[in-house]
Amino acid sequence: MSNLVNINVNPCKMCMPMGAAMAIAGFKGAMSILHGSQGCATYIRRHMATHFNEPIDIASSALSEEGAVFGGEKNLQKGLDNLIKMYHPQVIGVCSTCLAETIGEDLKAMIKRFHEKNPGSGASIIDVSSPGYGGTQNEGFFRALRAIVEQTVSGAPHKAREGGLINIVAPMISPADTRWLKSFLNEAGVRSILIPDISDNLDGVAQKRYERLKSGGTPLSDVMRMKSAEITLEFSEFISEKDSPGAFLRDAFGVPLLRLPLPTGLRGMDRFIDILCAYGGKISAEHAKERGRYLDAMADSHKANAKARAAVFGDPDFVKGIVSLCCENGAVPVLAATGSACAGFKRALGGEIEKCAQNAFAEGFEIADDCDFSTIEHFCGKLGANIMIGSSDGRRAAGRLGIDLIRRGFPIHDHVGGQRTRTLGFDGSLGMLDEISNSMLSRTEENFRRVIYNEHFKPLKEISKKERLESHPCFSGCASQNARIHLPVAPKCNIQCGYCKRSFDCPNESRPGAASKVLSPNEALERYKRFKKNCKNLTVAGIAGPGDALANFDDTRETIRLIKGCDPQVMLCLSTNGLMLPIYAAELIKLGVGHMTVTVNTVDPSVGAKIISYADFLGRRFTGEAAAGLLIANQLSGIKMASEMGAVIKVNCVALKGINDGCIEEVSKKASELGAYMVNIMPHIPIKGSQLECLEKMSVGELEALRTTCEPFARQMRHCRQCSADAAGTLDMDFFSASEERSAHQEFDTENTKRFAVASKSGIIVDQHFGHAEEFLIFDSDGASSRFVERRKISRYCGGAECDEEGKWAKILKALSDCDGVLAVRIGHAPEEKLRASGIVPIRACERIEGAVAAAAGSLREAESASAL
Amino acid sequence: MAASILEERKSSIILSGAKKGVSCEKESVSGSVSQRACVFCGARVVLNPITDACHIVHGPIGCASYTWDIRGSLTSGGEAYRNSYSTDLRETDIVFGGEKKLKAAIDELMESEQKPPKLIFVYATCIVGVIGDDVEAVCRESQKKWGIRVIPVKAPGFSGTKSQGYKLACDAIMDYISPFARQPASFGINILGDYNLAGEMWIVKGYFEKIGIPVISTITGDASSESLIKAPSASLNVVQCAGSASYLAQRMEAEMGVPWLKASFYGAQDISSSIVRVADALKDAAICEKARAFTAYESERARSVIDKYKPRFEGKKAAIFVGGGFKAISLIRQFKEFGMKIVLVGTQTGKRDEYDVIESIADDGAVVLDDANPAELEQFMAEKGADILVGGVKERPLAYKLGVAFLDHNHERKHPLAGYIGIENFASEVNLSMNSPVWHHLGMHC
Repeated sequence: MSNLVNINVNPCKMCMPMGAAMAIAGFKGAMSILHGSQGCATYIRRHMATHFNEPIDIASSALSEEGAVFGGEKNLQKGLDNLIKMYHPQVIGVCSTCLAETIGEDLKAMIKRFHEKNPGSGASIIDVSSPGYGGTQNEGFFRALRAIVEQTVSGAPHKAREGGLINIVAPMISPADTRWLKSFLNEAGVRSILIPDISDNLDGVAQKRYERLKSGGTPLSDVMRMKSAEITLEFSEFISEKDSPGAFLRDAFGVPLLRLPLPTGLRGMDRFIDILCAYGGKISAEHAKERGRYLDAMADSHKANAKARAAVFGDPDFVKGIVSLCCENGAVPVLAATGSACAGFKRALGGEIEKCAQNAFAEGFEIADDCDFSTIEHFCGKLGANIMIGSSDGRRAAGRLGIDLIRRGFPIHDHVGGQRTRTLGFDGSLGMLDEISNSMLSRTEENFRRVIYNEHFKPLKEISKKERLESHPCFSGCASQNARIHLPVAPKCNIQCGYCKRSFDCPNESRPGAASKVLSPNEALERYKRFKKNCKNLTVAGIAGPGDALANFDDTRETIRLIKGCDPQVMLCLSTNGLMLPIYAAELIKLGVGHMTVTVNTVDPSVGAKIISYADFLGRRFTGEAAAGLLIANQLSGIKMASEMGAVIKVNCVALKGINDGCIEEVSKKASELGAYMVNIMPHIPIKGSQLECLEKMSVGELEALRTTCEPFARQMRHCRQCSADAAGTLDMDFFSASEERSAHQEFDTENTKRFAVASKSGIIVDQHFGHAEEFLIFDSDGASSRFVERRKISRYCGGAECDEEGKWAKILKALSDCDGVLAVRIGHAPEEKLRASGIVPIRACERIEGAVAAAAGSLREAESASAL
Repeated sequence: MAASILEERKSSIILSGAKKGVSCEKESVSGSVSQRACVFCGARVVLNPITDACHIVHGPIGCASYTWDIRGSLTSGGEAYRNSYSTDLRETDIVFGGEKKLKAAIDELMESEQKPPKLIFVYATCIVGVIGDDVEAVCRESQKKWGIRVIPVKAPGFSGTKSQGYKLACDAIMDYISPFARQPASFGINILGDYNLAGEMWIVKGYFEKIGIPVISTITGDASSESLIKAPSASLNVVQCAGSASYLAQRMEAEMGVPWLKASFYGAQDISSSIVRVADALKDAAICEKARAFTAYESERARSVIDKYKPRFEGKKAAIFVGGGFKAISLIRQFKEFGMKIVLVGTQTGKRDEYDVIESIADDGAVVLDDANPAELEQFMAEKGADILVGGVKERPLAYKLGVAFLDHNHERKHPLAGYIGIENFASEVNLSMNSPVWHHLGMHC
């Protein structure tokens, strides 16, 4: 989407009052008040506070509906009065807004009347016409400067000019650039008056006592002297004459005006220095060296800069300065854009950019005024911009385009240091040039290997093992954003582990809980499709029980086939005890199963015999050490086969205290030797009714020690979330198992419950007066826990009669007829008596509803049993 | 009270425990540097999280510029809401009216988007009414022309406070879903008044789904034009931010028969009671059981967080200045869980009864103030020796200037503070700011 004429998509500009408030902040003892809705001041304060990281106080006349209809003078007079009382400002800028201008407020007259009523207010009050529709923050900024100069400088033109005094009018530059400008002028021995000076007011120091009214900024006494200066230098070539303070000083007081580009880059700085020298300034040896260093750096980084295709956006003068810096360094500004409607913009920039672009064989460029970010983004893509320079509002476009954004200008909201960015001077220019060069160098550095490899070395079609590791959440340490789904299609198991009880899921993968519903392959497919629809990052489907995947191979195979058929991109994984692995390994690989988890608890048959009681293999039941030996042999050969065929293998090992903890190290060694990718040592979770029910659970410390011991032999999995089927959104049972016992104790005593009506506004705590309640929350409680019944509106119990006092009471009592008590934050004396008379106990409380209800039920029951005795 | 407190502000500042409650629900005092926003802001923040809707601000550029991508609301679907559209009215439009431009803007948007929106909100800001644009007529016409919904939100900034904007947003939602009022009931809830800041809606939704309660529609966090229209079929509305969404819940109950409940997902106790209560309200024994088991399990984990941080926080003093009363109340309770004292509580637009609660649960002697300004915050934070301030972006630099830690509890944050996970985030942020070494050095060297 680009160049829409009737709709602005993502504005690359702000409104006039914003600029006006920022300019006013550069005068000593100054405050702003916006004449309009409260929101204008708040939005502007937020915008500025986040950029400058400074408290920004801007008042508002807070016009209401009444003000909008009948005029807001009353509000403004009151506002000025209050502002003076709170801040004692020496200067007040009264800025109009869209609303004030549209309803035709006459600021000048109102201010005059204010002065008449408050002769000793001590404040110079300046009116600034800054309707939001009149232009951007840039125009608002200059208009405020002009208003301050116009309304401050008075008297006759000076005959004699003050020798060597220069007026400097700065556009919206950062406080750090303002500091640089002041010190540069100072070191050049030039006497100057700078407006505005935001260096301290918008970038303050930490102080023991906070200054509500900032003490920095240009004093109005200096502004008064501007009429006697030798010349005004205005760093703006685009602002219109009517908004230019320099033009006013020229026309009214005959002060010559020279409009200059920003002192940025070689040419901008040279121009500035020449003029200073013409007015008696001297450039120190140190500054001459700075110029030399900038030149030196231009040479050092010119090859990197030549790769830059920059998109520069912001206020017109800012863009021109940066464009000039880019061009002299061979970086092509393929897009120069401003949000302002600025007639001379194209003409002023065209020649230079064209020359630069041609020189670099750049394919095209655009210069656009009155531009929004949708257009900027469109051109960036079209023109192949590889770097953006401007405010942080460009970050979304830069992010989508995958290019760097060099943050300069206003606002900078996503980084700190907006107030400290540098663009001016040789050092400021060089800092920015370095950022451009380094962005180009990093791009090359990050990309050249991959680009050349992809272009000149045929990439492998097959999904590599590495990619498979990265795309599976279990193998990539949960850093992966990929989701997985478990499909419970395998109910049967072919071995009996001592820690497992048949009615539960296999503890290999899912934790013990209530058994999951077993799905048929077709149901599994449906479930997969359902989740795939809602979960874009679902990349892995796994079969992890509830029994053993390979003991139900027909269903497992069918499920895999169906899923793969519906989603060929899916990664398949499977979890098994490994007994059947040597038999099915090859087929699994062929089916596309790339990840396997094999649970190996020991490699010693004598230990194994303590863990499993039998193994059913090819129609025969083995027991004791024979069973264990068979299982281990098959596990190990299966792992080796599958791994050699390219599967990524994880070995799970359930740590059983006093049984296999001595041989886990050996398991790790063996697993790693056979090609397993990682080992996951899991704590044993005691299950009621299982053979190892009473076995002590391993502590976190012990488990961690085990992992550390095994670490040298095999990669350890520490991020196991024991996610079970959670990733797919079914019930994660872990909290049920953990709290099973507790909730058993909390059986609700339904025989002895009391019912309460609660008056609550927030719905969370008892926080309403009984008399204010229009509805009650009804709870039952046995004194220990409570249970929500319903929300009950009193109006629903209207008997149809007139709602007089009596009628209302009848309704309330009807609504509460089944309640034993009422809880409210306060209850009046009369209603309290009435409730008691109807057998309802009034209770005052101000805590959480559930707690208050339980406590009330407890005390009611106590009282009952006491009276029964 | 000090000289810097304006006479007409005095009734809005009291000490907790005082006889007379704080004065509130009034227009801001002109010139007092209120922290409040405006009606348009309230409407936009509520509607903005609807991910596939386009939001056109009809007016001069500022309002669209300052509310572009304003909240950290996350999306699982569309991205349209992250753009800011404006008719960017200029001088001539003010003179000749902006209706034509608005109509053309809608047409242009519909023609140029590859995937044209099914839902457009048109916000009329301050001057639109004054210059006499009939926004409703334009919306009606465009709606007919394009066969989509174009809903006007008449929200001039001066027409009240942010709360009025919430109400307008709720009306706009009702306007959108009312045609679907009659549909077969489905078992499940809507979550209202959560805006999916840092994924908070997803977290809360996840809790309900875990205990077997389907979430039908989310309003408006991660909502879409599709998902919203299912809302009338739900069995229950669960209202999280009472300030912005109670009104919608009331209308849905009255006009669609969906009952509702208030809830809070900040702080362990509130989250647990809210989940259990929603389960109880649905009257399904299995779900009730699961809710209790789930909340018991999570509460225990939350307790370990509190135990970890409490020794560091105990006795420290918190100051709270936030948008609404509901959030202030919830924050007081959260700080108290960690043994902290509350020395200042204020809101931009708190209601009378919310202040009653604030006054009753804040520590005695705490300063309670409505619609405070920076001068007052400064004075009372210093006077009370606050260790940390909770507030919005504008208040942050002030806190830092005063050497006070800061907790970002605003709509730009990028970490969830709701849900059980939010308890740890809350504590960890309080700790890293309040116990940062920088305060020590600042105190020594300033």
